[in-house]
Amino acid sequence: MSSTSALGALTPRYRVAVLLLWLAAMALAGWQITRTSFTADLSAFLPATADAQQQVLIDQIRSGVPARTLFIGIEGGDAQARSAASRQLAAALRSSGRFDQVSNGENDAWAGVGRWMVERRYLLSPAVTPERFTAEGLREGIDETLSLLGTPAGTALKPLLEQDPTGEVQRIAESMIPVKSPRTDDGVWVSREAGGTPPRAVMLAVIRGDGADLDGQQAAIDTVRQGFSRVQTPGLTLLVSGAPVFSVDSRAQIKGEVEWLALTGTLVMSALLLAAFASPVALVVAMLPVATGILAGIVVVSLLFGNVHGITLGFGSTLIGEAVDYAIYYLIQARGQGGTGWRHWLRGNWPTVRLGLLTSLCGFAALLFSGFPGLQQLGVFSLAGLVGAVLATRFVLPVLMPDGARGQGLRRPLGRAARSAIAVLPRTRGLWVALGLASVVLVVQRDGLWRAELSSLSPVSREALALDASLRADITSGGDGGAFVVVQGPDAETTLQRAEAAAARLEGLVNTQVIAGFDSITRFLPSVQTQQQRQAALPDTPALQAALAEATANGPLRAARLTPFVEAVTQARSLPLATPDMARAGALAPLLDALTLQHPDGHWTVLLPVQGVGDAVDIAQVRAALQGVPQTQALDIGGELGRMYSRYLGEARGQAALGGLGVLLLMAVALRNGRRVLAVSQPLLLAVLLCLGGLALCQVPMGILHLVGLLLVVAVGSNYALFFDMLQHGGGTADDDTLASLLLANVTTVIGFGLIAVSDIRALSAIGSVVAPGALLALVLAAAFASPARTPPKPL
Amino acid sequence: MTTGTKTQRPDRLQGGRRACLAAAVSLLALGPAAALAQSGATAFDLGALMAVLAQRKSGEARFTEERTVSTLDYPLRASGRLTFQAPDRFARFTEEPTTESMEVQGNQVLLKRGKRTRQMTLDAVPEVAALAEAMRGTLSGDAGALQRHFRAQVSGTAARWVLRLTPLDSRLARTVQQLEIAGLGADVRSLDLRLAGGDRSLMLVEPVAEGPASTPATAALK
Repeated sequence: MSSTSALGALTPRYRVAVLLLWLAAMALAGWQITRTSFTADLSAFLPATADAQQQVLIDQIRSGVPARTLFIGIEGGDAQARSAASRQLAAALRSSGRFDQVSNGENDAWAGVGRWMVERRYLLSPAVTPERFTAEGLREGIDETLSLLGTPAGTALKPLLEQDPTGEVQRIAESMIPVKSPRTDDGVWVSREAGGTPPRAVMLAVIRGDGADLDGQQAAIDTVRQGFSRVQTPGLTLLVSGAPVFSVDSRAQIKGEVEWLALTGTLVMSALLLAAFASPVALVVAMLPVATGILAGIVVVSLLFGNVHGITLGFGSTLIGEAVDYAIYYLIQARGQGGTGWRHWLRGNWPTVRLGLLTSLCGFAALLFSGFPGLQQLGVFSLAGLVGAVLATRFVLPVLMPDGARGQGLRRPLGRAARSAIAVLPRTRGLWVALGLASVVLVVQRDGLWRAELSSLSPVSREALALDASLRADITSGGDGGAFVVVQGPDAETTLQRAEAAAARLEGLVNTQVIAGFDSITRFLPSVQTQQQRQAALPDTPALQAALAEATANGPLRAARLTPFVEAVTQARSLPLATPDMARAGALAPLLDALTLQHPDGHWTVLLPVQGVGDAVDIAQVRAALQGVPQTQALDIGGELGRMYSRYLGEARGQAALGGLGVLLLMAVALRNGRRVLAVSQPLLLAVLLCLGGLALCQVPMGILHLVGLLLVVAVGSNYALFFDMLQHGGGTADDDTLASLLLANVTTVIGFGLIAVSDIRALSAIGSVVAPGALLALVLAAAFASPARTPPKPL
Repeated sequence: MTTGTKTQRPDRLQGGRRACLAAAVSLLALGPAAALAQSGATAFDLGALMAVLAQRKSGEARFTEERTVSTLDYPLRASGRLTFQAPDRFARFTEEPTTESMEVQGNQVLLKRGKRTRQMTLDAVPEVAALAEAMRGTLSGDAGALQRHFRAQVSGTAARWVLRLTPLDSRLARTVQQLEIAGLGADVRSLDLRLAGGDRSLMLVEPVAEGPASTPATAALK
């Protein structure tokens, strides 16, 4: 240490230099933070993937129509009041300009699409081929149309009969019959009132604009609420759900939680430190490594990820509890006179702190490989935060308080309590081992311990999810995400042609009842090639008239009445072909939006949602049927996400095991003694076992976050175990002060994780509820399994 | 859908068959009134009719249908098969002049036309749902299902009855004026559907004997 004087006190030049460097780093960090964007995007806690196939799906979840779709319900009152309110609210939403599409069952909403279908029927109908316009083909078409007349279903067709005797509109409409659509009553969508769903009018509204624009979504949701408040029918209540509500609410919730956690964490820690040191100066100094760590964490995350997730900040509050430990160790253990106390700490305690830091880093590093961007952020945040806090402790604290903190406060009683506990604890080893064995039995016996689902990562509450599921079941075919055929291509025309090929294969599956149905933009907007083929199939006027005369001879429908039909076909022969731009400019825009993705580089993706027979889609059969259609894949989003999650869970278990192994390895390298390593690992292993046992006992469904928690128990607990090892082998003396620092550090950690354990954000509470008891157990067990020989006996 | 079936155009049908149909209908329509006059006081109401119908748990029948449409020069005819299985399965298979079918089970409808198949939910289209309920409700003897959508009037006796259904819902009434179902005992024998525009569909139903005896019955109809 060339920068220090021979006496062991720091030179003023060194002190100034360190402080300036530190202040400069903090200022830079502060500047970077002002440029950082903070997000509350839920998809960060969905698995990320490099697979292009799955990326499509993530794209869609992030920014597609599902991210902009509101599910709305109106409950209370009587059926008539609800349907009137539904009409009134839908009208208000349609005229607000904030929505691409508002569907409540009223047919008028589809008038534009209907007009498009009628006008372009000879370019849209799959029945249009040259054979269709022979006498035989025309007769067949007319027969089919007639077979519906005189039935209630034919009532709608009758006015079209003379323009469209071959029923092309009907043929197009038939291909669009939705497999599952909401129950309709009094002209609006209503709930099925099955399975306890209360009677309600339901509607669906797609917000205009970018799904990531949370302010825009908030404004749209407000528009719904204001629109409903103007309905002014007493007794009616409004329900709003869907991804936009979740995003907006989560943002608000995460913001609130982060503020609460930061405030409570700081207050509780401050109170504790003040009680321990009875010195405001010590309190401020102890908070410096914490502040440094948090700044470092935010800055590194912001530089690596481009943004900082709200949940990362919430998790950061646990860093308060962790980072303050280093300060506590330093302030208590750096004892000396004339500015040389820090040397005492550097010699006696710093190696242990450093090893503890390394084992903690090892634990958090496992998060980096989790495959969830959200968890990776937590990992990076913690790594950078701990390193920042330790660096501040190592270099800045000696400059500010070279002799530690002298204040006594509660240190004495804490130390005494710790000592008496340590005297008793080794006698309870048998009990802990027995409990550990019981945990093993419990864990082995419990089937499906790792059964937490993907939804357990979501910050959305169970009640909100239940309401969402209920409204969705009323409106859509249900199921999360559903199944899609995804077709890609370099431009619109190629992609549409491929989609037509895929649709033809899917049509076959519908006919053999492998799937119940599917949607495709090509029914509204065929490729130019297909439109040209259909146009070329249309005969000229004389030919059509001749064929028609033959086809209708002796039939109930005389050719003379079909002049509008002949005119329509003649017109269609020169109708400009529909292009995506034309479709987007008109009533088809929402459909185009929902069923296609247009990328900035011009390449296209067409989505064909597939509906299964019953609840599930036989994706393997769909894949088999699509063999050979270029750039076409079948995805089962719900299943895919579930599978991805379980794969990540499996991977994460491997990574956690590796992380644990890394901790052991580090300790083995540092301690170079098998027996010491064993002594240090025993309490860690037992702590993990007991946590697992406790979770199994409470029937908590375990997921990836509990796994992360267990890893943190090892990472944090190793600090305690090493501490006791140091007391026994490293020549440190276990006086009351040292024990007090250990106890204090543990209490702050338990409080830090305890705070997030009671958080409403489930991702955080899962981690907290494992680490808080785990850290306490780790300390108790470390004391219980430390051999008491070297601690000088001190009668109470 | 062969060209052979196409030749069955109404003008080529035997006039006798149509006359037969008309006679049968008038018999059915008049019959109950006469029977009621004979039996006098004993009121045969909806509950009693439903009790009779509820005894039948499944059935199969052949139908012939004649539809009168105002814009067409002469009536349209169709024939095929009807099946029913309590409580909620009902299907109509049209065999002439084109092959198509509608199968209702619970809230699911399966439509087939030639080789094309479509599946849809029944209650999404209230008009269709109401008519399906009329059929199913009658066949299964479910008064509640009928009265949800219709005003039901019963005349006749248990042996020979007429059930007249008038839509309650004004939307349905815009399409359907009334549906008159006539039957003998537990057998439905005719359905007379009058649409709001004046069009009419009359369906005569001939039960097929239980068991594998459907072929002779088919032959008998022809």
